[in-house]
Amino acid sequence: MSTLVLDAVSRWYGNVVAVNGISMTVGPGVTGLLGPNGAGKTTLIALMAGFLSPSAGTVTLDGRQIWRSTEVHRTIGLVPEREISFGYLTGRQFVLANAELHGLADPGAATERALGVVEMTEPAGRRIDTYSKGMRQRVKLASALVHDPGVLLLDEPFNGVDPRQRLHLMGLLQRMGAEGRTVLFSSHILEEVEQVARQIEVVVSGRHAASGDFGAIRRLMTDRPVQYVVVSDDDRRLAAALIAEPSVVGVTVRGVTVRGVTVSGGTVSGRGGLDLAVSDLGSFAVRLPRLARDAGVRIIELTPTDESLESVFAYLVST
Amino acid sequence: MAERGAAERSGVIHDLGYRPYTGPRCGEGAIARALFVNGFLNAFGIGRSGRSKVLPFLLLALNLLPAVIVVGAMVLVGLQTLPVSYAQYASTTQVLLGIFVASQAPVLFSRDLRHGTITLYLARPLRAAHYALARWAALLAATLVFLLLPILMLYVGALLGELDASTQTEDAAKAVLLVVLLALTLTGVAALIASVSVRRGFAVVSTIAVLLLGNGIVTAVQGIATDQERPRIGEIAGLFSPYSLYRGAGATLSGLDSLTPPTGAGMEAAYFVTFVVLAGLCLGLLLLRYRKVAGR
Amino acid sequence: MNATIARLSFQALFGRRRGLVLMVVPALLIGLAVLIRALTEQGVGYELVDNVGFTLALPIVALLASSAVLGPEIDDGSIVYLLAKPVPRHAVATSKYVVAWLATLAFGAVPLLVAGLVIDSSDPRRALAWLVAGVVAGTTYSALFLGLAALTRHAVVVGLLFVLLWEGLLGGLLRGIRWLDLGAWGIEVGASVSSLVPPPGTGLTYALIASAVVALGSVWFAGDRLRSFTLRGDE
Repeated sequence: MSTLVLDAVSRWYGNVVAVNGISMTVGPGVTGLLGPNGAGKTTLIALMAGFLSPSAGTVTLDGRQIWRSTEVHRTIGLVPEREISFGYLTGRQFVLANAELHGLADPGAATERALGVVEMTEPAGRRIDTYSKGMRQRVKLASALVHDPGVLLLDEPFNGVDPRQRLHLMGLLQRMGAEGRTVLFSSHILEEVEQVARQIEVVVSGRHAASGDFGAIRRLMTDRPVQYVVVSDDDRRLAAALIAEPSVVGVTVRGVTVRGVTVSGGTVSGRGGLDLAVSDLGSFAVRLPRLARDAGVRIIELTPTDESLESVFAYLVST
Repeated sequence: MAERGAAERSGVIHDLGYRPYTGPRCGEGAIARALFVNGFLNAFGIGRSGRSKVLPFLLLALNLLPAVIVVGAMVLVGLQTLPVSYAQYASTTQVLLGIFVASQAPVLFSRDLRHGTITLYLARPLRAAHYALARWAALLAATLVFLLLPILMLYVGALLGELDASTQTEDAAKAVLLVVLLALTLTGVAALIASVSVRRGFAVVSTIAVLLLGNGIVTAVQGIATDQERPRIGEIAGLFSPYSLYRGAGATLSGLDSLTPPTGAGMEAAYFVTFVVLAGLCLGLLLLRYRKVAGR
Repeated sequence: MNATIARLSFQALFGRRRGLVLMVVPALLIGLAVLIRALTEQGVGYELVDNVGFTLALPIVALLASSAVLGPEIDDGSIVYLLAKPVPRHAVATSKYVVAWLATLAFGAVPLLVAGLVIDSSDPRRALAWLVAGVVAGTTYSALFLGLAALTRHAVVVGLLFVLLWEGLLGGLLRGIRWLDLGAWGIEVGASVSSLVPPPGTGLTYALIASAVVALGSVWFAGDRLRSFTLRGDE
C-alpha cells in the first residue's frame, strides 16, 4: 500500500504561483486529477514524481521525501505527457532499456509482461517512429509498468487517443486500481475522469478546489439548488402542488414558446415537463411520490440535470 | 406537443452581429512582402523574445567594432589610405559573418518546418515557392545589412577624413558588388541546410562546418599549391568555398590579398560565374525542397 | 557509468542523421590528405593536420557528438524517461560523456594521426604528437560541450562562438588567451611528444591539470544539472 501525501505544498516561479497551498492524500485505487489547462496538474504530477521541488510544504511517499531521492523511482511509475523522442528504437528496445535501468533481475521477462499488459506484444518489434499516437501512449505505459510500481502517475494519458484504445486504457487503469496500486491520472476532460475514477481531486488555478467522490461533492454544495426535470401527465397541476413544498425552490414550465423563441429545451420523452430547483434533496425525494399521488398526477420521467461532473466542474470553475 | 417536440429539437443560429470581412483583400504580393519584412526583423531578433536579440546584435556589434576603431584611428592619426580596404573587411570578419548566417537561417527556415507551422503559411493564398523566396530574401537582406554597414561606416569615415572621394567611391562600389555576391551564396547555403536539417543545433553546426571547414580546406590546398609552385591548382580549389570565391573575385576586382588569385580572363570570369551559379543552385534546391514540403 | 544509458546514447548518436556528418568530417580530412600525398611529395601540406584537422574539425566533431547525446532529449523533455529511474544522475552524465568522448576520439583525434601519417610517413612521431594533442583537447572539448548542452538549449551556438571566436579569432591576436584555450593545452601536451609541434608556452603541467579540471568539472556539472531537471508542462 503506497500513499502519496502532499502537505501544504506550494510552488512558485518568481511571481507566478503554479500550485498554491495544496494538501491532499492519494491512496490506493484510481484517483482522477481534474482541472482546466494551466491549473497546475502537470506541476503537481512533477512534484509527486520527484522532478520538481516544492517551494513550500512537503511531498512524501509513505513518509519518505520524494525530491532528490533516486530510490523513490523504484516505487513510482511515471507516464509523462511528452512524446517519446526515442524514435530510432523499437518498442521492445525502449521498454527493455527502461527495465534494465531499473536494475531488474530479469529485464526480458519483465518487458514481455509489460508489453502483454498493454497489448503491444506484436507491434513491439517496429520502430517507435512508425507508431500511431495511441500505440506510443501504450508503450509509454508499458515502460512505466515494467518495474511493477506501487504508484502510477499519468499526465493526460488520454490525450489524442482514439476511442477504442481509450476504452482499453480506461479498463487497464481500473484493473490497476483494483489490484491495490495507487493510480493518479490527470485530465481536463470530464467524461474520462467520470468513467474511470470515482475519487477525484479538483485543481483550479493552483488551488485545491474539491476532493472526494463527485456525487458527494455535489451534495456538499448546499447553497446551490439541485436541478431536476420531471415530466408528468399534468404538469401544471403538479407544478401547483410542488411550489407549495418547502424543499422546492423554483419551478419552471418547459417547452413554452415566448415570442417565437423556445424558453427551455426538450426532454427525453419529447414532452414539456417542469424544471425544478430543489434545496433539500433528501426530503424532496421522499415527498415527491406522495405529492404526485395526492394530486392525482402520474410521473413519467424524473431526471437530475446536474449530477454529472460537468456541472460540478462548472460550479467550481465559474467563480 | 409533438410538433413542439420537433421544433425544440431543431437548432437556431443567433445573430450576434458577426459579419465576415467582405472588403478588399491584399494579394499574394502583400503577403510575400509581409513575410519578408517579418523575416528580416526576426533575423535580428526583433519581434521575438529578448534573448533572441542577444546573439545577432552581439555579432553585429563585434562586426562593426573594427570599423569604428579604424575610422577613429584614421581621423585621429590622419591616415591617407584605409588600413583595411572595403573588400578586405568582409574577409577578415568572415567568422562572425559565418556564425551570424548559420545561427539565423534556422530561425527563418527550420522553425516553421520543425513545428509544423509551415502548413499555416501554406494554407494562405501563398505558393510554397513564394514563401521560400520571401524568407530567402529576408535572410539575404539581413546578411547584406551585416556586410554593408561596415563598408558604409568606413566610407563615411574616409570622406570625413578627407580622402579622395572618387577613389573611395570606386573602391566602395566594387566592394559592394563583391559583398552582394558573397551574401547571395552564403544565404543560399545556409538556407538550404536549414531547410533540410530541421533541428536547429544540427543545422547551425552543419552550416558552420560547410562554410568554415570548406574555407579551411581550400586555404590549406592553396597554401600547398603555392609551395609546390602549381598555383593553378590553388585557383581551381578556390572555386569550392564561398569565402575563397570572394577572395579570388576580390583579388581580380580590387586587389584583395589571396593566396592564389585567379590569373587569366577565363579563370577570373570563372570565379564570378561560379559565384552566381552557386547562389542560383542553392536557391533552386531550396525552392525544390519547399515544393516537396508543400506537396505533402 | 551505466551500460544501458551508454547504449542508448550510442544509438542516439548514430541513429540520427548527425551520425553521418560525424563520419563525413574525418573522411574529408583523410581524403584530402591522401589527395595531397598523391599529387605532391612527402611532408608537403602538414599544416592541413593542424589548421584544418585540429583547429576546425576536432571541435566540430566534439560539438556534434556532445550535443547529439544530450541536447535533443533535454530539449523535448524525453530525458525524463532516463531520469525517472533509480540511477544516480552523475552516472547518467558520465555514461553519456563516455560515448561522446569515444566518438570524438574516433572521428576527431584518430584522423589526425591517420592524416599525419599519410602526409608524412617518415616521421610517425610527429603524427603521434598530433594524436596526443587531439586526445587531450578532444577530452576537454567534449566534456565542456556536454556541460553546455546540459545548461542551455543554445549550447551549440555558444560552443561554436567559444571555439571560433575566443580560441580562433582572439587566440590568434592575443597571446594571453592561451591560458584559457583548450586547444592550446592540447597542443602543449602534443609538443612534449614531438619537437615539430610548436608549444604555445603554458607549460606541460598547467596544460594537463587545466584540461583535467575542465573535463571533470564539466561532466560533474552536467550531472548536477540533471539532478535538478524539472518537468515542464504546458503552463
